[in-house]
Amino acid sequence: MALELQNVSHTYQPNTPFSAVALDNISLSIEDRDLLALIGHTGSGKSTLAQHLNGLMKPTSGRVLFNGKDINEDASRLRELRFQVGLVFQYPEYQLFEETVEKDIAFGPRNMGLSDEEIKSRVLGAMDLVGLNPEEIGQKSPFELSGGQMRRVALAGVLAMRPKVLVLDEPTAGLDPRARSFLLSDIKRLHREGTTVVMISHSMDDVAALATRIAVMDHGSLAMTGTPAEIFAQPQRLIQMGLNVPQVSLLAGRLIAAGLPVKPCFRMEEMADQLAELLKGGDGDVA
Amino acid sequence: MLRDITLGQYYPVDSPIHRLDPRTKIVLTIVYIVAVFFGKGLLGYLPTLLFLLLIIKLSGVPFTMMLKSLRPLRILLIFTFVLNLFFISSGEVLFRWRFIQITKDGLSHALRFSLRLIFLVLGTSLMTLTTPPVALTDGLESLCSPLKKIGFPAHEMAMMMTIALRFIPTLIEEADKIMKAQSARGADFSSGSVTSRARAMIPLLVPLFISAFRRAGDLAFAMEARCYRGGEGRTRLHILKFRKGDAVAFVITGLLIPVTIFAGRLL
Repeated sequence: MALELQNVSHTYQPNTPFSAVALDNISLSIEDRDLLALIGHTGSGKSTLAQHLNGLMKPTSGRVLFNGKDINEDASRLRELRFQVGLVFQYPEYQLFEETVEKDIAFGPRNMGLSDEEIKSRVLGAMDLVGLNPEEIGQKSPFELSGGQMRRVALAGVLAMRPKVLVLDEPTAGLDPRARSFLLSDIKRLHREGTTVVMISHSMDDVAALATRIAVMDHGSLAMTGTPAEIFAQPQRLIQMGLNVPQVSLLAGRLIAAGLPVKPCFRMEEMADQLAELLKGGDGDVA
Repeated sequence: MLRDITLGQYYPVDSPIHRLDPRTKIVLTIVYIVAVFFGKGLLGYLPTLLFLLLIIKLSGVPFTMMLKSLRPLRILLIFTFVLNLFFISSGEVLFRWRFIQITKDGLSHALRFSLRLIFLVLGTSLMTLTTPPVALTDGLESLCSPLKKIGFPAHEMAMMMTIALRFIPTLIEEADKIMKAQSARGADFSSGSVTSRARAMIPLLVPLFISAFRRAGDLAFAMEARCYRGGEGRTRLHILKFRKGDAVAFVITGLLIPVTIFAGRLL
């Protein structure tokens, strides 16, 4: 398995009047080639958890293992780990700083100490991965770009390090629908090509469309883990935790309640197939 | 990483000191400073010490928290003590070794000046520890408002201070976030030569400045959207009011100066 958390707890500002428990005894394993979606209400500890995965935050107690080794055992190797576990923060476009898009994307590879040619090829590769045209915007200032493009530059900046695990903290927050669907298909492609992905999201529809596994956080502890089918089969529990189920699940629930022969599902394509079947095969009553 | 910085270090508990009007606390802090400077001889500091211990006890702020406010001053304190101790050559000689000598005057000067510094810092940090920054600027505005007549921009000054204080934690948080994001791309802020460390700050400072300007612009719009147009005719949500406790505080602190002068004469 790629990453494993063993009984990880984290308390902010311990022993002060401001002390707050952010993570409470979390055990979770992330397998190779998983696309794990981390969901939970605001303040449930998702972002804190994400920052434990590449050693930016240290657990107050418990261990984080990468390929079976405790990542916090040897602080001098943390930097190397961060090249393998790439973390893209929320609103990553606010962290761009270089004069040109290419230079900004090259920041990570340069810190890895790669040769100039290798850096160049990685920058071009990463831009290609996120669908940015190097000739068109490579020499532009990142601050001239649109919000969606800036987000992709920031994502490319992490991808250029070719991480084995990619951790994304609400990658689609604040994007317009077009930029969002571009970004989601980028993530889907990366996963298909072999990257393990951990994605924090508030959009149940995105989660339903992409995730192979889901972990649900509630007030700092891990409430549920399972496949999307398992998780979305318990709408009541999700709603209790201030979450929701995908629109498609809701639709399926309503159709079933109305007495139509539909199976519960959460993916748009699945629903479309069922409805098409129903409309075609039925004797006309339904239409 | 940056969370150790304590600025506007309010300590949120309820105590008689916390409940005082911020104006009382500002004025009495000044009275206290004057009293500290009136102290003569070690005996002259006794009333100040007792007064300080009393209000620390009343304020409910743990003593360790108070000591933290002395930390940034430790180098200055050591300098003050050592320089006075070794370089004052008048008075009875207590100790001599080759060219180093310690005199009675030197020792008493060293003690007095260090104590004076410690008292000043502890007293003033007690004010910031027991008063929320916004209440402090409200108090300052109210105290300075008579100066409006001669054209002093009391409201604007208080508003700027409030905004600055309000955004310190925000900017620290932002800096922390950007540092983490760049660390995630392998940036190294803590090792290397001075020049390489200075260069390592660029990926932090550029985004931080950009976001500070963006925030400033947003804030200006948000204020205008709520019809802000300066202090003229503006009413307040929290109206400052003197209470009984304030009168008591004035009397006790007011007595500190004559008592200090008297104690200094006893010697």
